[in-house]
Amino acid sequence: MASRAGAIGDDHGVETLMEDYGLFQSWLAVLCAIVGTIIWRIAGVILAARIPADGPIMGWVNTMAYAMVAAVLLLILVHPTGVLATTSLDQRLVGLGVGLLAMFFSKRLIPSLLCGIGAFALAIQFI
Amino acid sequence: MSNSDYFALTASQTRRNAMVDALRAPCYALGITMAGFSTIARESGFDFWMALVTSLGVWGMPGQVAFASLYSAGASLFIIFVAVSLANMRMLLMVISAADMMHLKSHNLPVWKRIFWMQFLAITAWANLGLAQQKYPPHLLLPYYQGFALTIFTFGILGTVFGFFLSDLLPADILRVVIFITPIYILLLIINARQKANRLAVLIGGVLSPIFFPFAGEWAILLAGVIGGSLASLYSRYIAKWHLEPVQ
Repeated sequence: MASRAGAIGDDHGVETLMEDYGLFQSWLAVLCAIVGTIIWRIAGVILAARIPADGPIMGWVNTMAYAMVAAVLLLILVHPTGVLATTSLDQRLVGLGVGLLAMFFSKRLIPSLLCGIGAFALAIQFI
Repeated sequence: MSNSDYFALTASQTRRNAMVDALRAPCYALGITMAGFSTIARESGFDFWMALVTSLGVWGMPGQVAFASLYSAGASLFIIFVAVSLANMRMLLMVISAADMMHLKSHNLPVWKRIFWMQFLAITAWANLGLAQQKYPPHLLLPYYQGFALTIFTFGILGTVFGFFLSDLLPADILRVVIFITPIYILLLIINARQKANRLAVLIGGVLSPIFFPFAGEWAILLAGVIGGSLASLYSRYIAKWHLEPVQ
């Protein structure tokens, strides 16, 4: 995987590598994607039953989950794919910054979300 | 409603509350985000049923997007399997964390039922569970999750269906703003996590991943998650000793 997910639109070089999947192979690909996700869910259910609830390992798993979700989201915001890739980094950072500031001062989710989204909407119009 | 009122709720009242919470904002944004996936999938050569089954079976946006782009590049099945597993590895941690929040053990569900319910877990439902945890008593968090996750899932699947056929439904400027809602919504949720250690983990993980990305690619998520989470855990346990403070 040389290029990141959203490279579809801007990486025309890949077309030379393109090979068509047959119907059977296409569905096998879907199956691979499903199994590649479900194994983690099953492993999670099995491990969750074995890790003591208030111990340090559960604390560690939780901090890693939070850090990893934050990592995914920041990657979406800094190196987006699809529609968001048509906006600039500055515009997205304005939206993020205003939302976080509003949350920091107000501690209220929906108003802060509206501030962040509003700032982003203004930024795409004026920056 | 005060905290004691939440204690008096029944499971079905809690499910209904959770549906209302989901209908307030996150479900629409997620529906349109999944419509975005459907558009990418169609451009990558998926037919309608493949896009639908991928959303139903994978139900994790980053993995789905990775799948669609690899498919369009004609990658081998093995590469698809590895890349999607990597992109969705956080499911492992999220499932353990969600099971812990919901005190899943105490519900005594058979393993297949636990796996069935965890199939609906994705970032939005998991992050919202962290918020609900601050209001609802632990025994009501499973019904809360069921109501919330199923609502989100329904809208996500509807988004996949409509997105495939109606990709140009929204004007571009509005679409950009709507797609921006889900990541910001979830970040605001998790940066406000109840435990200080988790808030610190969000901060470190969020800062590290764009720094790692230029040389680590997709591995940046895994690296930032493990390093950020471990640093936050070590700091909170051995330096700040936050676990000794009463939870506010």
